[in-house]
Amino acid sequence: MTRQGSPPHLAGLLLGLTLARVVALTAVSVALAKPSSLQPSAPIAQSEEECLSCHGDPELAMTLPSGERLSLYIDPAVFEISVHTPLGIVCRSCHSEILGYPHPDLDYATHRELSRALYMACQRCHSDNYDRTLDSMHAQAAAAGNLEAPICSDCHATHDIVPPDQPRALVSQTCGQCHTRIFEAYAESVHGTALIAEDNPDVPVCTDCHGVHNIQDPRTALFRVETPELCAGCHADPQLMGRYNLSADVYSLYSLSWHGVDVSVYRANWPTIWHESAVCTDCHGVHDIRRTGDPASHVNPANLLTTCRRCHPEAGPNWAGAWTGHNRVSLDRTPFVFYTQAFYASFAPFVLWASGIYVFLQIIRATVARVRRSLR
Amino acid sequence: MSAGSRSTPTTPVDQVRTERTFPRFTRAQRWEHGLLILTFLVLLLTGLVQKYRLTGLSQQILSTPERLELIQTIHRLAAVVLTLEALYHVGQGLALLARRRLSGAIFLSWQDIRDAVQMLRYLLFLTDRRPRYGKYSFEQKYTYWFMVFGLGIMIVTGFILWFPILFTRVFPGGIIPAAKLAHSTEAIVGLIFVVIWHVYHVHAERLNLSIFTGRLNEDEMRTYHALEYERLSQQPSEDPERGEAE
Repeated sequence: MTRQGSPPHLAGLLLGLTLARVVALTAVSVALAKPSSLQPSAPIAQSEEECLSCHGDPELAMTLPSGERLSLYIDPAVFEISVHTPLGIVCRSCHSEILGYPHPDLDYATHRELSRALYMACQRCHSDNYDRTLDSMHAQAAAAGNLEAPICSDCHATHDIVPPDQPRALVSQTCGQCHTRIFEAYAESVHGTALIAEDNPDVPVCTDCHGVHNIQDPRTALFRVETPELCAGCHADPQLMGRYNLSADVYSLYSLSWHGVDVSVYRANWPTIWHESAVCTDCHGVHDIRRTGDPASHVNPANLLTTCRRCHPEAGPNWAGAWTGHNRVSLDRTPFVFYTQAFYASFAPFVLWASGIYVFLQIIRATVARVRRSLR
Repeated sequence: MSAGSRSTPTTPVDQVRTERTFPRFTRAQRWEHGLLILTFLVLLLTGLVQKYRLTGLSQQILSTPERLELIQTIHRLAAVVLTLEALYHVGQGLALLARRRLSGAIFLSWQDIRDAVQMLRYLLFLTDRRPRYGKYSFEQKYTYWFMVFGLGIMIVTGFILWFPILFTRVFPGGIIPAAKLAHSTEAIVGLIFVVIWHVYHVHAERLNLSIFTGRLNEDEMRTYHALEYERLSQQPSEDPERGEAE
């Protein structure tokens, strides 16, 4: 069965695990063109062994018309880590055009062209996720002619496909392969440090905000107007915020603010019309969000005025004091609002009630007087 | 009321009745009131649409960002008109007072407190005597000063909201959210007050059109401004209609 030395432990494992099936299914064809019908592992091992008899040679390579050297070596170790191996998905499940030896000619000028053709195999099983990628801005970039726009294998790898989120930091590191500077900013952020240093399960990785396969352009008016909702997904959750001693009122208080009301109106009526009212990321930063107490935070009291001035360039030094900082009204933080609120919670209602009662008494008295006159 | 009750009968039916009227408001004051109604309504409508801009009706009115801008422009134009009117009113009043051409009748006095207590006693059936008022009853003064302070709040906070950057050059930033809260709330307070107080006293209790006609007739004067009637006509204000009040 084996024509060449293969990783003994892998082959042994696969064989050992499926000994009974080997006996039962030796007659079954190794043709596995339909990956949806996952076949037992005995022929898999056979298939892999066959392929590796050539592709296990580290020197095996060819030169593409572009002059690029295309290595054809498959490290047998990848079968150990690939998520596909235990599922019985083997070489020919994806490389279905290979029906035997000699192989059909490779008709690709460049390595990228080859990748963009071969990754189409993914959709045979992962059609839902593949369809989602068609709506993504990566697909738009590709359609616009950017062949570097990522395809499945750019994020998930080719043969050594591992769970994309173990650890979760892997997700953001994957995006960071291309989005280098954004990843660097994120890695320094309150979310990124907690993710990378602690493997914190609560902080967002890239895909939590941007979506996984149908990643949309985050620079649109629509994405902008949805930003507060996006942040509120976590920051309005009292349980989640409670773990970090953060207020879960920030979103509801923002919604009452000038910025927040404006954004709500645009969101309800004109979500695709660009608006300038501040959303969370305008003040807190997009990827470089830090703790308010962090001196590098855009909303640190020392930096707040600078942040305000990005939209309100004329603002004077007192301006930042107009911001109530997502806090409930309190005498300490917002004395002016506190006293105004106290006035309208006590004196104004008192005056109105007194006026209303007075008029009510007048109506009664006038009615009685009229009745008395008519009875006289 | 004092002696001489029932000495003045009602106008006999068989006589030609000559209605005597008493001037109450000048032409300028009547125009001022007209302007106040107009700007108040415009400000109220354009303001409420913004205050409750998340409601369905508001969103129908503010169907485009340009509409919102238009509404805000109208609001500010009306605000400028009202502010000019208020400045004129205060300036005119002070100038006339300084030249002793305007009585201080509109200012609050201890008599108003006594009248209010008397009126409350009347309303609670503790007495049958209603207070006798001068040119302005304490109810009318209350309306006036409520409006003066309400408009003062609205004008000041409105300009703070219109020019926040300018105001925070001098004042602390905390006045901005406070001004927003005050402007937004005072508008409703004023509206409720007008609906309760003004509508009852000027439209329901009696239809008092003197702010449009500029004058009150003799009956109205005797009934509602007895002291002023006596001062102007040098006659007792005895009103047989109010016999029960004696």
